[in-house]
Amino acid sequence: MFLHARCFAAALCTAVLLAGCGGDERGDKGKALDFADQDAFPSTYTIPESKPVLIRGATLLTGTDEQLDNTDLLLADGKIARIGKGLKAPKDALVIDGHDKWVTPGIIDVHSHLGDYPAPAIESSQDGNEMTSPNTAEVWAEHSVWTQDPQFALALAGGVTTLQILPGSANLFGGRSVTLKNVPGRSVQDMKFPGAPYGLKMACGENPKRVYGSKGMAPSTRMGNVAGYRKAWIAAAAYKKKWEDYAKNGGEKPERDLQLETLAGVLDGLILVHNHCYRGEEMAVMMDIANEFGFHIAAFHHAVEAYKVADLLAKNHVCAAMWADWWGFKHEAFDMTPANIAIVDHAKACAMIHSDDAVGIQHLNQETAKAMTAGQRAGFDIQPKDAVKWMTLNPAKALGIDDQTGSLEKGKMADVVLWSGNPFSVYSKAEKVYIDGELMYDRDNKKRQPHSDFDLGILDAKGERP
Amino acid sequence: MNTRINTIILNCALVLGLASAAAQADTLLIKGGKVYTLANAGTLKSADVLVRDGHVEAVGAGLDAQADKVIDASGKIVTPGVIAADTLLGLTEIGAAMSTNDDAAVEGDNTKNVQIGTSYDPLPAYNPHSTLIPFNRAGGVTRAMVIPDSQQKIFAGRGFAIELNGDFDSVVGKNLVQRIYLGESGAQLAGGSRAVAYAQLRQALNEAREYAANRDAIRRGDWRDLQLPLSDLEALQPLVNGREVMLVKANRASDILQTIKLAQEFKLRLVIDGAAEGWMVAKQLAAAKVPVVIDAMDNLPIAFESLGARLDNAALLNRAGVQVLISGPPGSLATYNAYLARQGAGNAVANGMPYEAALKAISRNVAQVFGIDGGTIEPGAVADIVVWSGDPLEVTSYAEQVLIDGVPQSLVSRSTRLRDRYLTPQPGHEAAYKF
Repeated sequence: MFLHARCFAAALCTAVLLAGCGGDERGDKGKALDFADQDAFPSTYTIPESKPVLIRGATLLTGTDEQLDNTDLLLADGKIARIGKGLKAPKDALVIDGHDKWVTPGIIDVHSHLGDYPAPAIESSQDGNEMTSPNTAEVWAEHSVWTQDPQFALALAGGVTTLQILPGSANLFGGRSVTLKNVPGRSVQDMKFPGAPYGLKMACGENPKRVYGSKGMAPSTRMGNVAGYRKAWIAAAAYKKKWEDYAKNGGEKPERDLQLETLAGVLDGLILVHNHCYRGEEMAVMMDIANEFGFHIAAFHHAVEAYKVADLLAKNHVCAAMWADWWGFKHEAFDMTPANIAIVDHAKACAMIHSDDAVGIQHLNQETAKAMTAGQRAGFDIQPKDAVKWMTLNPAKALGIDDQTGSLEKGKMADVVLWSGNPFSVYSKAEKVYIDGELMYDRDNKKRQPHSDFDLGILDAKGERP
Repeated sequence: MNTRINTIILNCALVLGLASAAAQADTLLIKGGKVYTLANAGTLKSADVLVRDGHVEAVGAGLDAQADKVIDASGKIVTPGVIAADTLLGLTEIGAAMSTNDDAAVEGDNTKNVQIGTSYDPLPAYNPHSTLIPFNRAGGVTRAMVIPDSQQKIFAGRGFAIELNGDFDSVVGKNLVQRIYLGESGAQLAGGSRAVAYAQLRQALNEAREYAANRDAIRRGDWRDLQLPLSDLEALQPLVNGREVMLVKANRASDILQTIKLAQEFKLRLVIDGAAEGWMVAKQLAAAKVPVVIDAMDNLPIAFESLGARLDNAALLNRAGVQVLISGPPGSLATYNAYLARQGAGNAVANGMPYEAALKAISRNVAQVFGIDGGTIEPGAVADIVVWSGDPLEVTSYAEQVLIDGVPQSLVSRSTRLRDRYLTPQPGHEAAYKF
């Protein structure tokens, strides 16, 4: 998975660079194709200059299988600058006493609908599921994001620094996802993780066949689902070839097709597939389809039965995003074991926690703790140093941003959480949350806690929502 | 070592033909744990609990007692079993599979004019062999309230209580509660306005009183036409008599106040369910002695009726003197994962609720409010007891021993069996032969 993610990131950077050179008015001949259309709605996220921060003497869970006790961490210029004992504070540094406190990388939720399903959840705000056709690969989740959703700030207080917003799961192809830094922004572009690959949401199983089957149209069965995927990939391959021929040979410029652009972007390795898929055998089918058409599935989401095919996931370098303990709400969620994540991890596949939920996203540390405990009870030797990557580095891998964030390593983005104690205790809280070295949330300082426009004056004309 | 001695004793008993008496393990001693009695004795740092015939006989340090079975709880935490405040246990198997759900009376194409409202009693549908029961039992839940939902009326019907031993006779209380929806959900069910829902409730209560005073004439048909069917009027009698709890869904502070007023007027045993903005009217709830069932992790302004939702709701209500019951996670997960009431209680403590108050909120308070056994470890109490690996409110702790009526329970579930089958998944068909 490492390799795959890096390849994608490299391909992506190339595309961005070429787009940046821009201004090619002579036609597209000879130009690298950007099926992912990276520059249409570019990130406007900026990293403000902030003073260096030195956290002294904390317990560090690095996200790379290490627990460093009584260790210092220096954040400077938005990056993790140094990790070690007895570090010297730069002149203008803010020094924080980290004794009895713990530090982890910022939490990354690979599956969120914040902004698309905001609070309050009234009819007019349900913007997460374009349930009008089995294939809506042309829609982009970012175009539904209400940046003033008060749920973003609640997730931040839970230590979430990065999150992927996915369109919903009614469709075989739900549309594009977007990866956001969890920072306040007036436009969604102000929140976009610079250079993060787009994702394509796909869905297996009960949802698409129920939604469209109940309308008397395809798909109404799981085999109908699969026929729908394959049909679309055939069209995408033809579309991709048409544009590649045009880039190579010139001639009449093909017409753009938003739906096929996204799918071709997947075939080109620019867009990562995030596949809602519960059952083991369906995951196996999906991996076969990926092999048939030559693309890669970044991650299965809601993978309640990932444990049954953990070895296959490892072999195919496919991540699995799982809940700690959700089950039973539908048949494909019936075979749950809380040891799911641990079993997948033990099989050397990329295992991670995810929320799909505005409450769950605030407590991913607790969710991870439950999964860790279930793993220990199953007989695996799993400690906090191992489990922490289920909520940091592994979701970063699935999002193709693990070379930039997800672990406490020199040179990575300073996305860091300072916890009041062991993050796997129900009593611990995120005290300070840094994103690119900037203090975005401070539990001890009300002035450093973001409130959305919605929160203002909502209970009391002069106050914020508590 | 004790266990071994007891085994020897048991074997001797078998030889002597005393098998049946000894095998029942009528006495059981839980030794040396930190015991949260949730009763007058408070918390005992290291104590023994003696259980006889399904009940607690004695609690104290160094009890000098012989027992048929001994559980070593040293270094462990001992509490009463968790009592789930609001579930559909035994009424649902898979949420999205209609055939497996008996949680509500539904009027649909095949069921025109289903008139069941207050009289809906899901008890005949109860299945003690539900797969949800062993799973939650293994999580430390020993008893639960089973309260129907509604999809068409503000009245959902009547709830009962179960113990989670999976036995056919595991119902431990019938007709304990009537669920009623006010607030936003009530407005939807009633026809678009909170005021309509409120008027429907008021009318039903008035008719129930009228029925009580003129039962014979009404049953003879010698009376004015009433809106509610006789079965519904009959079902409301325990409610208007104050024998049954009225569990009212309400989140907005103003809805809560309105409901308190109604309950006082009709002298009802009101419990508020939801109470996201309960903290705003905590004083009034306390003064009216109205308990609340809350989701302690609910802090989303997810509806305009719960804009004030906050994580310290439980702490603020408790501080004001309101009796707080903490339910499991929201929605259907409150049934599938009823045991997660513990996580909710842990978060309540993290946000200011005193520890023992939070333990009571998932155990003793539930028993008290609905009038069932359980929730304390004291002489005479039913022996529903859990020995925990550590702090039961921590997400990293788990139940090591679960006793219901003094009987040690199996902690195996579908979930543990699936785990064991696929612990190291591999190709081939051998997994299917692994039990």
